[in-house]
Amino acid sequence: MSKDVAFLAEFADGQPARSALELAAGAAELAASAGGQAVALCYGPGARDAGQLGAAGAHRAVVLGGDEAPAITFAAAAVAAVSQLEPVALLAPASPNGRDLAAALVGLLELPAFGPVRAVSIDGGTLKAEQSTLQGSVITTSQPAEGAPQPAVVLVLPNTFTPAEGGSGTADVSDAPAADAGPFGKARIVESHPAEAAVANLEEASVIVAGGRGVGSEAGFAPLNELAAALGGAVGASRAAADAGWVPYQLQIGQTGKVVKPSLYMGIGISGAIQHRVGMQTAENVVAINKDPDAPIGEFADLFVVGDLFAIVPKLTEEIKRRKGR
Amino acid sequence: MKFVVTVKQVPATTAEKRYTADLRLDRASTETVINPLDEYAIEQALRLQESGAVDTVVFLSMGPEPAAEALRRALAMGGDEAYLVTDDALAGADEWATAKVLAAALDKLEPDVTLMGMASDDARGSLVPGAVAAIRGVPLLSYGSELTLGDGVARIRRLTATGFDWVEAPLPVVASVTDQVGEPRYASLKGIMAAKRKPLETWSLADLGLDAGSLHGAALTKVVDAHPPEAKPPTERIENVGPDEAAAKVADWLAARKLI
Repeated sequence: MSKDVAFLAEFADGQPARSALELAAGAAELAASAGGQAVALCYGPGARDAGQLGAAGAHRAVVLGGDEAPAITFAAAAVAAVSQLEPVALLAPASPNGRDLAAALVGLLELPAFGPVRAVSIDGGTLKAEQSTLQGSVITTSQPAEGAPQPAVVLVLPNTFTPAEGGSGTADVSDAPAADAGPFGKARIVESHPAEAAVANLEEASVIVAGGRGVGSEAGFAPLNELAAALGGAVGASRAAADAGWVPYQLQIGQTGKVVKPSLYMGIGISGAIQHRVGMQTAENVVAINKDPDAPIGEFADLFVVGDLFAIVPKLTEEIKRRKGR
Repeated sequence: MKFVVTVKQVPATTAEKRYTADLRLDRASTETVINPLDEYAIEQALRLQESGAVDTVVFLSMGPEPAAEALRRALAMGGDEAYLVTDDALAGADEWATAKVLAAALDKLEPDVTLMGMASDDARGSLVPGAVAAIRGVPLLSYGSELTLGDGVARIRRLTATGFDWVEAPLPVVASVTDQVGEPRYASLKGIMAAKRKPLETWSLADLGLDAGSLHGAALTKVVDAHPPEAKPPTERIENVGPDEAAAKVADWLAARKLI
């Protein structure tokens, strides 16, 4: 057993995903307290260029596979790599792909699983995971049971760790031990339908302007787009707005959409149902604009503006532009 | 074509939650519902059964004895029969133990498709579908916004960063679906009456050839602390002012926090 900390590093279009850079920083931090090294387990198009993760904090990089394929098909290689490395912990992004690979490791290697965590540490060799459960009604701290196998698998939400800046160095890159892809290898993409228009990656946005049922239509999102542009942020939505077809489902925030943690979240015409709240409750600053003075979002926002969004949002956009301009 | 849909009984979203002395949720004293995300899996299975593509729909749950209520509610929506795995040794089961027990039950039921919700409302780890597939040695099709069946294969429509893919695997599979498969039906009075006559069998760990020892005492994890979240400062409100003034006040608020 080693004291290394491994992390799943997803690549797309030849580049590491934002989650890979965040987890590299997190794994480096945890490895330092455990007395080991950060090791990247890389998959997806571009994974063979994983040496660049050295600047993000990874000491070594193991390539699980570099093809465009369902992430789950890399499970057998991940098992082989983890069995060889025996790290104390494995960090996985709390994304659909990250969860699938983490789940495969938990099932195949009988591993303890934690998360999604809001904080994780290694103290005296013991991993401690802090998570918010039961719709945010309780905060728990958990650790592996005595005698539980290594590694502890930890799901990590976006923006839990901050990517290293100005780092240098190159990670040593090697291939995962050869392994039969097994049953998970039988899933394959038979049709691919990329969108014609670019869709923002909400998990990377530090400012999010989200619209809900109160926005009323696809056209109603235009002033929200302008506000987001003025703030240098991205537009998100509640499930009601995505279900209505006003925005693509990739912009949905909540229990069945993205879980985001921006520094500023603005909820516009969003009532704040619990299913939406679990997707944004860890935002640092929450501002809501709603015409209903009794909307649930008014109970947990930091600033709640009661009024007509169509009157206020354009004025706010102008005001922000004016102040930024001087 | 046989489907097994897994059903978890969870605390109602609005229910007051209580904890036992060893920091576990007191599930016996809390108002419960079918995990809302499992209802979408039930709906997807029932739609495929109505279209003639599926012959049998079986519901499977693991939990304390009152979880049988969740299975009765599922049977009231439709389907044919249900199984509850219940055993005192399973209190506090974690994701791995849950997956191990469900996989053992599925070994007896031998479905073509095991269908699950994308997450449970209470824990939200989303690891059980993949772990069950791993233990059973079958392919995983996860996060489908639709599930279809073909000649010896299952297919799911799955969101990607910008669009969507269709992903296919040969049967048998474990699949999970999202809330985009269609709104779950309500149980009719007729359905509720019919559910009372449908078979609902209870299995212990021993019935599945498992014991507490083979499950590491039901968990590889342990909770060492549980406390309520930190109280937030009260919400500041801006109301009864015109749009110009509201906009200026919001801008002031953002500027004071260096957000603009």
